Amino acid sequence: MELNICHLYPDVLNLYGDRGNILCLRRRLEWRGIGVSVTELPIGGETATLTGADLIFIGGGQDFEQEALLDDLHRGRDAALRAAIEDGVTVLAICGGYQMLGNYYETHDGVRCDFIGALNLHTVGGKDRMIGNYLFRCGAESGGGTVVGFENHSGRTYLGTGVQPLGTVLRGFGNNGEDGTEGARFRNVFGTYSHGPLLPKNPVLCDVILQTALARKYGAAELSPLDDAAEAEAHDEMAARLLAK
Amino acid sequence: MSIRVTGAVALCKLLQAAARLLHRGGTASPGRVALKLCPELPGVLARGMEILVITGTNGKTTSAHIAEQAFQNAGLDCVANRSGANLLSGITTELAHNATLLGRCRKKYAVIECDEAAARTALGYLRPKVVLVTNLFRDQLDRYGEVTHTLENIREGLKKAPEAVLCLNADCSLTSSLAGDLPNRTVFYGVDRSAADPDARPPLLSDASRCIRCKAEYHYDYVTYGHLGGFRCPHCGYARREAEVAVTKIDALDMDSSEVEMRIYGAARKLHVNLPAMYNIYNAAGAVAAITQMGLSAAQAAEAIGTFHCGFGRMERFALGAAGARVMLVKNPAGCDQVLEFLAAVSGPLELAVLLNDHDADGTDISWIWDADFERLTALGTRLRRVYVSGTRAADLYLRLKYAGLPQDTLCIERDYAALTERLAAAEVPVFVMPTYTALMEFRPLLVHRCGGGEFWEG
Repeated sequence: MELNICHLYPDVLNLYGDRGNILCLRRRLEWRGIGVSVTELPIGGETATLTGADLIFIGGGQDFEQEALLDDLHRGRDAALRAAIEDGVTVLAICGGYQMLGNYYETHDGVRCDFIGALNLHTVGGKDRMIGNYLFRCGAESGGGTVVGFENHSGRTYLGTGVQPLGTVLRGFGNNGEDGTEGARFRNVFGTYSHGPLLPKNPVLCDVILQTALARKYGAAELSPLDDAAEAEAHDEMAARLLAK
Repeated sequence: MSIRVTGAVALCKLLQAAARLLHRGGTASPGRVALKLCPELPGVLARGMEILVITGTNGKTTSAHIAEQAFQNAGLDCVANRSGANLLSGITTELAHNATLLGRCRKKYAVIECDEAAARTALGYLRPKVVLVTNLFRDQLDRYGEVTHTLENIREGLKKAPEAVLCLNADCSLTSSLAGDLPNRTVFYGVDRSAADPDARPPLLSDASRCIRCKAEYHYDYVTYGHLGGFRCPHCGYARREAEVAVTKIDALDMDSSEVEMRIYGAARKLHVNLPAMYNIYNAAGAVAAITQMGLSAAQAAEAIGTFHCGFGRMERFALGAAGARVMLVKNPAGCDQVLEFLAAVSGPLELAVLLNDHDADGTDISWIWDADFERLTALGTRLRRVYVSGTRAADLYLRLKYAGLPQDTLCIERDYAALTERLAAAEVPVFVMPTYTALMEFRPLLVHRCGGGEFWEG
């Protein structure tokens, strides 16, 4: 077995620890003897890279680079990404990358910016940033475990019909600080505000994502268990700290 | 107004004295209270002084120590907020401490290290003679937002100090952009191509890969570290400016110091830099620019660079264990990578302790450890005898090192600082300690207690 991972826009969507997710996906496959290749697709790169991918990772970025990013997306990369998602390719999208998969982003003073519309959700810019460690529980289809992460976003994301939340907020803000939802699930897409990075301290979710990608490619896929004592300690320590609040 | 000034100065002095009696530093809170009583106090205290303000992401404290040493060598008394209390409150405490009750400072000169966000307001009050901006890297994004926001904070502050001479890092495309739309006279400093590693490439994880003016991707003629180097934008033409204070050759990079050649306003000079590693060569060049613009000579700057001692966990040495310990503060990926590069050049076996805290002063978001190149430790192989991890986020750090590929029998979580000190004291090989800011403040006193040294506000 082998997974081809495409890291989309590592040149601009790489804010604070995103590469830890790639490292985590890679190691947890390697430790199980499953082959893995990671291809980086920067701005101006070959769209063909996207079509051969079993798993696409999109990280978060700064506002500063957003313009260059949208220009590149609207040169056909958006259609390729939509097609991959419709085709059932597994996608993990974080923060800015997550927002980008939605319909649009509206700044708090009303300027609207069209995104790629792969997921029926939209984001509205807020004045105050939602910042801090947070905790949510994934829905059963995403493993049902708790996830600890760090969120730092001013955008408030609202899910439309046909899109499920990734989980329910236990501590912190999540999608918008209002409706208790965090992240999004649609087909094999996992969207979330959790950087930190997301996967190393949340190995259950990491394995659900890997399993989803392997199952699409090879039918059923059982992942052998790993020694996750260190992962559990990091997860449990932050979860306990947050729950004590 | 003068009654309020006198009251605020007196209160500040009193609170500071009380805090010191209780052995609580008292570096920021007296100033905070005084500012409530008299918000314009720092401006009043700064009147008539000649002030050097140092801001930027990395290298503030070291650069400030070099400048302070230069004033000291020249027999000029200067105020310095050397304990690193670099918000407006800490700066106010330090100025008030050195002032009469009428609010006149007893010393003519000041070397003030200033937090990047605090620069927005502090520069207007202090009206410095010279401002040194060292560099801008991603740092504490939970507090500052994006690195470009930090740049804007400094720019807004500088707008209130149009008479200040700017000393800017020519090799940092973010810092150097400050010169564009400000009226200030500017002196650039940096590392010339002749002193750079010809094989170095800009990192994929660059903090400034796209032009600050037009957002096109930079080309590099050479790279020193991080996004620093000979950048140029092929689209709008924004490019590195020639440095008036330039490192032209690095003759030796040793474990304790470096030997370099600089061109200082056209004259060549050899310098001994009394701290190791590339980033301290930058600190030295920035300090030369700032010190000379403050009115001292290049020879006085060079002497300070050759003799200064920084302490405070900036490559600070302690007589711990059989072969000694070195403490190296880490705060962000760029600085951490520089320390890891330094470790890679250590010959022979070593033990390491990394202390990761997530208090406000460290940044509550510790995600940056995944951007730092800890894989460099794995490349040390069996020379790396043991790595202790500690601090409030020890478990996260352990995980980072596990995923970096360090053998787990090398890794050890030791949360108790006293026990950690004992373990390090038992080491047969050189010990290196990498703490974040508050971990340094907590752990350093244990080393000082065991090995000797001063309290932190005394330097």
